[in-house]
Amino acid sequence: MRIFITGVGVALPGADSTAALAAARQPGEPVEPAAVLGKKGLRYKDRATQLGLVAGQRVLTDAGLLSDGELTTDSTRVAVLVSSNLGNVDTVCRVARTIADEGTRGLSPMDTPNASSNIIASEIAIRFKLHGPNLMVCNGPTSGLDAVRWGAALLRSGRADQAVVVGVEPDNEIVRELVGGPVADGGAALVLERADVAEARGATVHAELGGHTRGARVADNFAQLAAGEPDALVGWFAPGTAAGSLPSELSGHDLTETWGELSGALGVVQCAAAIGGFGSRTGGPVFLAAGGDDDDGSAALVLRPAPTASEPVAV
Amino acid sequence: MRLPITGVGAVASIGRDADEIFESLCAGRGGLGPMRGFDHDLYNGTRLFEIDDRPESGRDRTMRATGFLLEAVGQAAEAAGLGEDLSDYPVLVGTGLRELRSAELWWRDGVPFGAEQLHFGTALRERFGTADTHTFSNACSASLYTLALGADMLALGEADAVIVAGVDSITESMFGLADRVQPEPPPALRTLDVNRKGTILGDGAAAVVLRREDIPWSGGRLWGRLRGVGMTCDAKHPTAPDQEQVAEAIRQAHRHAGTRPSDIDLLMLHGTGTPLNDLVEASAYVEVFGEDAGVPVVTGIKPMTGHTSGSAGLLSLVVALQTMATGKVPPLIGLEEPIEQAAGLRLVRDEEAKHQVSLAQVHGFGFGGINAVAIVEAP
Repeated sequence: MRIFITGVGVALPGADSTAALAAARQPGEPVEPAAVLGKKGLRYKDRATQLGLVAGQRVLTDAGLLSDGELTTDSTRVAVLVSSNLGNVDTVCRVARTIADEGTRGLSPMDTPNASSNIIASEIAIRFKLHGPNLMVCNGPTSGLDAVRWGAALLRSGRADQAVVVGVEPDNEIVRELVGGPVADGGAALVLERADVAEARGATVHAELGGHTRGARVADNFAQLAAGEPDALVGWFAPGTAAGSLPSELSGHDLTETWGELSGALGVVQCAAAIGGFGSRTGGPVFLAAGGDDDDGSAALVLRPAPTASEPVAV
Repeated sequence: MRLPITGVGAVASIGRDADEIFESLCAGRGGLGPMRGFDHDLYNGTRLFEIDDRPESGRDRTMRATGFLLEAVGQAAEAAGLGEDLSDYPVLVGTGLRELRSAELWWRDGVPFGAEQLHFGTALRERFGTADTHTFSNACSASLYTLALGADMLALGEADAVIVAGVDSITESMFGLADRVQPEPPPALRTLDVNRKGTILGDGAAAVVLRREDIPWSGGRLWGRLRGVGMTCDAKHPTAPDQEQVAEAIRQAHRHAGTRPSDIDLLMLHGTGTPLNDLVEASAYVEVFGEDAGVPVVTGIKPMTGHTSGSAGLLSLVVALQTMATGKVPPLIGLEEPIEQAAGLRLVRDEEAKHQVSLAQVHGFGFGGINAVAIVEAP
């Protein structure tokens, strides 16, 4: 089954589109969720959830799946997958500290939903009324690409026709201390769609998913996917730890140099940035890597430019 | 779909492995006790279903959830004859609270902890040499949701065998936020009882080895076969459940399994003992089963294990496999007066029942309105 990316949403400081993402050299102004979503209903939602909702709104709009805020497709056939490692770490740590200082009397019940790490995925489902499988991926450095992989798996297994895949990470005092530096405070989102479904509704195709793998070594993953890809890989996206294992003659991108710690958002932002690149230059498939040889695993994915109009979509 | 389950593992407050847990359940022996890791003076409630593994009472330590997971995965892998080198096998872990308890201790007390320990891949790689591991944080339906993903992987031919696990250790934040709104903490967890006062959390982990049905295998024993898993999302409320999508998850599980409600011999309830869960769960079940609602025997493990969050669904499934192997069904202890919605159900009460089980339905529902229902059959 061929799988297309038919929607992209970007929610990073100073970047609200794939073009802005591809051109960015440094972060700009923080994302303001209320300016995108309106203030209503945001008050008790944590930063990560708000960022996820912004990315979700943008990606569903880009994919042509929202009309006047209403979903235009079968809501039971849309899956939601969110990748975030740090999403609710601040709520959890802050609540534990308050208990130590004041007992549970000092707590606000409004924090209760945010104590569960899947709050981002469930709030996206609630806002856009998405009843398909709802999955929160908290899988360390590889998490964003893993979420794309599981989104594709839900389509291939027939459990969904579209999968909204979101990767976001919030910035705050607590997570800065945990990861040892500033966090991106944003992320990106994709709509993955079965090729036949995308074609039937005349969706715009941004890219096509190629092979994926997950293994212990970045170089092995590259060799495996390059061998399985019909066209030669023309570039790669990888964080500093993995970049050293990839061919230097290809055009390489390390998004963490621009955005700081992307953690669970990395793989999804890589997809969005690669698509931004497809728009501005002709070229072939690119290799994406999240997680390096020193991590618990490395995930890899090939993204291909959208098939040209003359090429028939064999499903 | 008939995926062989060839090894099981589990750890909970009432036992260090699946056999011990089942023995306790059949004997009606629960694990509720004075809480050992949190300061009693800070809470209304002071009793939990904890695994007693702390060096001394009143002092907590990091990485307990990780330890439970490694234990359960190790048991399942050994039982299935996979050994300690799991580099060829994907390991999928469902959890509600990841290693967030350690993050709490790190922030509050300054004990060492790193971001790479929040998910379980790091420890799994150290112990078992794995490279394809996944931590899904899907609240209280996490391990059954994860089971569906593992089954799909096998169906798509992406692996010959997968290890699916669930784990949770209680966080102070989750317990504390519940305690905040319960001035009178529930004295017991009483699934389906009219006088149920809410849930009580527990520590736990469970693991199963799941194989492709079309490839011959050796090692381990055939515990049963996974027929199908349904999964839905309410998309309605962050914490309250919704009958419509719970019912849909049950229907979906039967569609995947190719079974009918009248085929089911045993229902393992999610049964958290909160007023709303039990009401919605019983109503959704009766909605789907209709006149067949009285066919299966109905029980649940939480009155004795506590609500073990993300591990709960898979732990229930392991217990269902043991009822198939032994013909013994553990009772719902503490159930004195069932709610109206459960009238006409064959509830197993007070003591273990004898019942031959060929097909079992297992429920797991969670915060965020995420629902998963699994159907397993006897070997």
